[in-house]
Amino acid sequence: MAMNRRDFLKVGAGASGSLMLSLSLPGCAGLPTGYEEETGEWRPDAWLEITRDDRIYFTLARVEMGQGTYTGLTTLIAEELDVAPEAIEPRFAPVADEYKNPLYKLQLTGGSTSLATSWEPLRTAGASAREMLIRAAAGVWRVDAAKCSASEGRVIHPNGIDSMRYGQLVELASKEILRGDVALKPAAEWKYIGKQNRRLDARAKSTGTAVYGIDVSLPDMVYAVITRSPRYGGKVQSFNGEEVRAMTGVLEVMEIDRGVAIVADKYWRARKAQDALKVQWDFSGALGLSTPEVFETYRKAADEDAGETERSEGDTESVLANADKVIEVEYSQPYLAHATLEPMNATAWYRKDHMEIWAPTQAPDLGRIAVARVTDLAPDEVTINTTFLGGGFGRRLTQDYIEEAAAVAFRMDRPVKVIWSREEDTRHDLYRPAMLHRMRAGLNNGELSGWDHQIVGPQILNWYVRNAGPAQFPWTPKFLYDTLGKVGVWAEGIATPKDISAIEGAIDYPYQVANIDIRHTHIDPGVPITWWRSVGYSHNGFAVETFMDELAHEAGQDPYRFRRRLLENEPRHREVLDRAARLGGWDTPVPEGRARGIALIRSFGTFVAQVVEAGVENGSIRVYKVAAAVDCGQVVNPAIVVDQIEGGILFGLTAALYGEITLEQGEVQQSNFHDYPLMRQYERPEVEVEIVDSTETPTGVGEPGVPPVIPALGNALFALTGKRQRTLPLKADA
Amino acid sequence: MALRLTVNGEMHSLDIEADTPLLWVLRDELGLPGTKFGCGAGLCGACTVHLNGEPVRSCSTPVEMAENGEVTTIEGLGSGDRLHALQQAWIDHGVPQCGYCQSGQIMSAAHLLATNPSPGRDEIVAAMTGNLCRCGTYSRIVAAVESVVAGEKPAQEEA
Repeated sequence: MAMNRRDFLKVGAGASGSLMLSLSLPGCAGLPTGYEEETGEWRPDAWLEITRDDRIYFTLARVEMGQGTYTGLTTLIAEELDVAPEAIEPRFAPVADEYKNPLYKLQLTGGSTSLATSWEPLRTAGASAREMLIRAAAGVWRVDAAKCSASEGRVIHPNGIDSMRYGQLVELASKEILRGDVALKPAAEWKYIGKQNRRLDARAKSTGTAVYGIDVSLPDMVYAVITRSPRYGGKVQSFNGEEVRAMTGVLEVMEIDRGVAIVADKYWRARKAQDALKVQWDFSGALGLSTPEVFETYRKAADEDAGETERSEGDTESVLANADKVIEVEYSQPYLAHATLEPMNATAWYRKDHMEIWAPTQAPDLGRIAVARVTDLAPDEVTINTTFLGGGFGRRLTQDYIEEAAAVAFRMDRPVKVIWSREEDTRHDLYRPAMLHRMRAGLNNGELSGWDHQIVGPQILNWYVRNAGPAQFPWTPKFLYDTLGKVGVWAEGIATPKDISAIEGAIDYPYQVANIDIRHTHIDPGVPITWWRSVGYSHNGFAVETFMDELAHEAGQDPYRFRRRLLENEPRHREVLDRAARLGGWDTPVPEGRARGIALIRSFGTFVAQVVEAGVENGSIRVYKVAAAVDCGQVVNPAIVVDQIEGGILFGLTAALYGEITLEQGEVQQSNFHDYPLMRQYERPEVEVEIVDSTETPTGVGEPGVPPVIPALGNALFALTGKRQRTLPLKADA
Repeated sequence: MALRLTVNGEMHSLDIEADTPLLWVLRDELGLPGTKFGCGAGLCGACTVHLNGEPVRSCSTPVEMAENGEVTTIEGLGSGDRLHALQQAWIDHGVPQCGYCQSGQIMSAAHLLATNPSPGRDEIVAAMTGNLCRCGTYSRIVAAVESVVAGEKPAQEEA
């Protein structure tokens, strides 16, 4: 990252004489950092604070939802500060410009970006603090700072005997000049990066003491449950509020934008009252689709509209017209729910022109906008306290649950906690979009000569921009929120990154083919959608890597070598493909009744290839083994990389084997884990993960484990049965 | 109704509707939020606690069924400041990701080891199959349980 480090790092003294470093990430340069040059005062949102009594606080601007930022980002600071990661206390960040994700210009955690965007700034912050502490100590000792060193929270005198604690030095250090040219440690000197294997949050999460959103408890807190329209977009017409209000413990029954809220002194009383609530809905503007119509709509759109060209090389049409063999297939995938194990929830407390929110959210600055929408408050009158997240997977990028809690609390004089039931969580999710893919390819003498991929379905930004637009410009008057939300879409690619949610995993087709057409036919049937772990790669990966497998078989070639020959100029793709094939025993005999499938997908900068060994047992698909090779650049925490890849594999297998949300006249048919199952312990395959040793800038691992396993399993089943499955979830008896 | 129950060795008297699930009594009345709400239907195991030494899904257990009973939750699994061997193994193996299901996982594993101190792999898998983990920590869970078994440290029976 070529920029003067002085541009984004500031130093100052805290109120109690502690050393505080504030950091403004490169993408936000020019935004206020919270540092007042004249007064030397600091807002309490420093990235790093070292106190006189040796406490080290690190403000974690990316939320912890299992993916390991709490440990990984802390390790970056610890490495350069020369303290053990365990000696640092991470704190979840409040909403502030400094904490925005530079890629999105929003304070959100998603897109497997946390490590890549923090890699240099956080190490620089740690190194700068260390250098200032060393210079402070050298000044006290009157020795050459270059001859001092730091270790385990102490500065060591050149004599190797004397030392001073960081806490003793913070006041002096805060007066040192922050230099832009601080050197980062060479990799050979790393003590924690690439070696740290412990998770800093494991203890709290193994003793029941980690605080998730649902665990927040406030004085006089009451509980709310919300009855929402069973069909998306339905409006409340009338309800038996009087009757319900008379029930035990019920304090209030109120209509809010999203339905009817019942507030009670106890959660269970609110739930029981909900059973008695009868709402008449106005469905005139509501969703009325059933699942088959979604795909009919897609096919009609695909017939009528060839789509916007997203990538075009050579002359695919004429190559296909002259090919020996043209293969033409259609793939489809259903809507998917996120099913975080912690259901949606939020706690809100309205007190005199101020709303305070406690919530497990992936995007706290969007949470402020959600509150502003349903109250008369401005975003800066809203405080968001982020807790641990009991899973995110993209679901908690949307702030509907905060909006509900705020709407209710705004009309109550005490804190209110809204908790969704599992059924509500499943039925009122925003889903991974259902998608359709039309693929054509030409083969000449067994050589792939042309590739045409038409992606059919909605894009996500249109659904997201409602609160994301205003969050980028929080000073906007509220009456302009909706306009700004729409402008966000118009300005796509200018004010916001281009929305590639529908086409990622397709436009970056890595195989060397001279003639390529990638097109997107945009069609949105109105079913609420959002990002879902691995997003576009989750469906495009299945289409691309299944089709590659079909083509290999059509060409009479081994699916691994067919891919490999087309990756001459893609060494990192090729390396993980080779390693996965070796690790998965591709060229070794497969046990009776089983078969292997392979797939390769680069997503979010990380290269992952997988070999799946599967069979059918007692009428069910059984996955025995998954071998994964991963290149995510420099590894910070090897154990977390393995965990994320393995977790991604199980997440992908859950989708491949079971994942399907269906609609009947606008109503979601699934409700709980009996009809939206997750993979269980007894179904777990043996997973082996091999990590490529690399010094490239680290890339994320939260999502890239998911996409390859879905086509790899489908490809294994084809090898087993000779029947190609082109829709998900996969069936044992297809 | 008025009822009494013992939770983590401490006796409590409560006045509460008999059909209130034990889960919400633990979390909201007794201030023990370590036990989690996941599905409300006994399908995910996040709310697993021990009632009179048996694992139960507290989300689907009316509190009246716990009357005069002894309940152990994740908060009471260790003894004083000492962690249960499984909790230490969970930390050593870095089991939790999001961590939300782990209280329930540990309570299921603790019951297994309390009744069968040296289970085989299949027995561990079978005992843990009722506990869902959306992050996919299953292999580390088995490794952590097996490490406790291999250490021949019998899991301490709860009070």
